[in-house]
Amino acid sequence: MVFGFLKKKIKETFDVVKKVTEKKLTKKEFDKFFDALEFSLLESNIAYDTILAIRESLEKELIGKEIKRGLQEKIIMNALKNALRGVLKESDSTKLLQEIKASKEPIVIMFVGTNGSGKTTTIAKIAYWLKKNNISCVLAACDTFRAASIEQLEKHGKALGIKVVKHKYGSDAAAVAYDAIEHAKAKGIKVVMIDTAGRSHANTNLMNELEKIKRVVNPDYVVFVGDALTGNDVVDQCKTFNDVTPFDFAVLTKTDVDEKGGAILSVSHATGVPVMFLGTGQLYKDLEQFDKEKLIKLILE
Amino acid sequence: MVLDNLGGAIRNSIRNLISKVLIDEKSVNEFIKDVQRAMIMGDVDVKLVFDLTKKIKEDILKSKAFSKKEQIVKIVYDNLVRFLGGEGEKIDTSKKPLKILLVGTFGSGKTTTAGKLAKYFKRKGLKPALLALDTFRPAAVEQLEQISEKVKAQMLFNKKEKKPEKIVKEFKDSFKKYDVIIADSAGRDSLDKSLIKEVKAIYKAFEPDEVLLVIPADMGQAAKTQAEEFHKALGITGVIVTKLDGTAKGGGALSACAVSGSPVKFIGVGEGLDDLELFNPKRFVSRLLGMGDLETLLEKASEELDMEKIKDLSEKFLSGKFDLLDLYSQLQAVNKLGSFSKILGFLPGVSALKIPKEMLNMQEENVKKFKPIMDSMTLEELKNPKILNASRIERIAKGAGVTVKDVRMLLKQYGQMKNMVKKLQGGNLKKMMKKLGIKDLKALEEMDLGGLGA
Repeated sequence: MVFGFLKKKIKETFDVVKKVTEKKLTKKEFDKFFDALEFSLLESNIAYDTILAIRESLEKELIGKEIKRGLQEKIIMNALKNALRGVLKESDSTKLLQEIKASKEPIVIMFVGTNGSGKTTTIAKIAYWLKKNNISCVLAACDTFRAASIEQLEKHGKALGIKVVKHKYGSDAAAVAYDAIEHAKAKGIKVVMIDTAGRSHANTNLMNELEKIKRVVNPDYVVFVGDALTGNDVVDQCKTFNDVTPFDFAVLTKTDVDEKGGAILSVSHATGVPVMFLGTGQLYKDLEQFDKEKLIKLILE
Repeated sequence: MVLDNLGGAIRNSIRNLISKVLIDEKSVNEFIKDVQRAMIMGDVDVKLVFDLTKKIKEDILKSKAFSKKEQIVKIVYDNLVRFLGGEGEKIDTSKKPLKILLVGTFGSGKTTTAGKLAKYFKRKGLKPALLALDTFRPAAVEQLEQISEKVKAQMLFNKKEKKPEKIVKEFKDSFKKYDVIIADSAGRDSLDKSLIKEVKAIYKAFEPDEVLLVIPADMGQAAKTQAEEFHKALGITGVIVTKLDGTAKGGGALSACAVSGSPVKFIGVGEGLDDLELFNPKRFVSRLLGMGDLETLLEKASEELDMEKIKDLSEKFLSGKFDLLDLYSQLQAVNKLGSFSKILGFLPGVSALKIPKEMLNMQEENVKKFKPIMDSMTLEELKNPKILNASRIERIAKGAGVTVKDVRMLLKQYGQMKNMVKKLQGGNLKKMMKKLGIKDLKALEEMDLGGLGA
């Protein structure tokens, strides 16, 4: 379970507080407590910047506060809850569905991310989710670079009964997207999902190319697909993608692989953009709608 | 460049420590704290960081050589090298066929790496075959198929069979026709029991000589658990770190080799099929500590170019005398070796010069123009660039379809390069070391930096 690790660890840090005085919490005592907590946060794969933000929030709320005997745990849990509320952002997939249903023109969603983060699989899962909600879609195979990326999308299309618009390898990604949008307009299809080639955010040329595709395609939504197993680098990754192709929401994949899911917090905190879905397994149905309060509950209760 | 953040942070803390007048326990503690922070921010497993820095601290305090600052650099160097799997054995290709099994989590880059490995062995003059065992991910076999066409390596596959161990058995008899068999398995989550069972069945049927765990450089604290579980199930013989061309910290991958006790054998440094390097922990740590790595560059160069040419070039390079003709052939070599920034990363001392990334990118753009410019020059001009006056430059610019400014840029770059070559010669390495704050080279010389000739 994602964050199972942190959940186990947080309890341990309370032992430090329990020994603390009944009077007001001093800075020194706070530091001692946070040092222990910081480790658990680091080990849970939460990026360092995000941990600093959590620390700041806790400091503001706790230092100088009277901590009554027997209530330590409750007070600190509440402060932690508030800190996490500050870090995470709200997202609403129901609203997205309503918007799509209400729109007369096809809604164009473009997916971006680094190599191997799971863009194609995520697109297939979202296509399945749309289908379940009676919304038609078409997939655009705009990754014309990676070997067999088009075949991969086509196999998903075939399995889900959804059309894939494609050109040859090496062809212009924007042209593929254009054709897919025209197809959707002609057939009255509600959603166009654009699969772009994975790229290193550090490769300026490839990032410029992505910006160009975005300019030509002019999507209604840009979605960042990030790998939940990524360490501190996820901050650089999502920030750069957000600078070049500002995204409207993020999907974190592979959250079932490890119980240290800190990247979910880091991406939201670094960009201020909400997470909308979590990838939770190998099946089409393994896509969870992200719920901020539910996740906080999961970590802290 | 590879793990630059971590390297930079450790270099800084070393510089801080050895710039102190007196090194006492307090300053050692501060130093250790700096290194810890650098490593944790670089995604190295938190517990491993504490084990490693505890050992470094013990070694420093035990060495009774508080005053010998070089000793401290050596202790950090030794511990980091050991952490990365020590000597770093090469892949032993004497056994025929050598059987390699690639395993790892989803999206770590196994299939691309399989292609890069095939290319690597082909460059070594061996005959590799790619065995497609990822029967799970849609189009994984097609991906390997397209890659095998590009590297011109034989591909062994059966699209109808879903059980990978049966595919192994099907081709078992034909393995002996090749020097190396590289098996690409499906991505899996080490905590998923059924997937681990499947890979065990592959292992039993394939009997690999090498089980290489493929780990992306940006993986964080999850890397340790993944490596531990894979190691428990299969016994990992080495690690391949992929996606090292980004800003990734690489620490997760380092944790993976520490817990499995197996060395990093290869690193993936780009999207091209040539972008795979043999990994040597010693060289890597010297690069991490800012000492450059001529040996890797030379090894790569000797594979890519014919030896006569490289001998010629390196002689000229070291003598500091080279004309535009040499620059021309060098540029062609550079194209084969990879990007300019990558090559600069290999050169000793260059990582310490902190060349901004934008400048390097611009440089690469310029280099693309250089070839047509030189194509428009006469042989005499190439051999003796001094004779280039305004009217000759204008003629060349017209001939190459570029501006006069571009031609002058080339000449300026040529001048700078000539200077740099001069600087790299002989005793000047010591000056560069001084800039890094390392005053006595003796301790460094003992470190077997290989090929630096310091």
